[in-house]
Amino acid sequence: MPNTTSQLFAQVLKLSALLIGAIALVGGVIGWFIASAAGLVSALIGAAMALVFASLTAISVWLGGRLSLGGFFGVVLGGWILKLVLFIVLVATLKGATFIVGPILFVCVVASVLGSLALDAVAVMRSRIPTVDTTKTAN
Amino acid sequence: MDVNNIAALSGNLAVVGYGLAAVGPGIGVGLVVSKTIESIARQPELAARLQVTMWLGIAFTEALALIGLATPFIFA
Repeated sequence: MPNTTSQLFAQVLKLSALLIGAIALVGGVIGWFIASAAGLVSALIGAAMALVFASLTAISVWLGGRLSLGGFFGVVLGGWILKLVLFIVLVATLKGATFIVGPILFVCVVASVLGSLALDAVAVMRSRIPTVDTTKTAN
Repeated sequence: MDVNNIAALSGNLAVVGYGLAAVGPGIGVGLVVSKTIESIARQPELAARLQVTMWLGIAFTEALALIGLATPFIFA
């Protein structure tokens, strides 16, 4: 059970990576049967996009927590804008590509995002973050 | 002026949808962050716990943005 924010974010990142890896595997197999290589590639790209998108928020909050309050919000919100711009550029690039199957990619993205959200919620509910962080007041 | 041309629209209407997909979560994240700043200003000793709660709020809100922006793959 995580009792510091670092442990919580490490656990969340690890569990999210495992879940999205499993979704990529299952989605890749299903995509292969539906649309052969294009289906497999779509599932892998969708899972990778969701992994980057879900992980960046947790990493930005984790790293930003070590900064001042202004730095924290700068990192978290700057990371959010950067992430959205990257996602729009990626979608615009992939939209007309012939090597992907749109619906498979979309389902993989949505399943990965919803699954990682559920994991995040469970991890936060099970964590016991103390009001006073004793690791920062050792001296 | 030709009245019929006032309401004429051309282009892909889906772009408006992508814009809305960014606006909604943008407002949501703004509210989450503003309330977190307010709470930390009131009780700075709770900053770590509030930041974790804020992260969960942002994660849920931005999921809408992601799903909305990924719709070109199914509606194109």
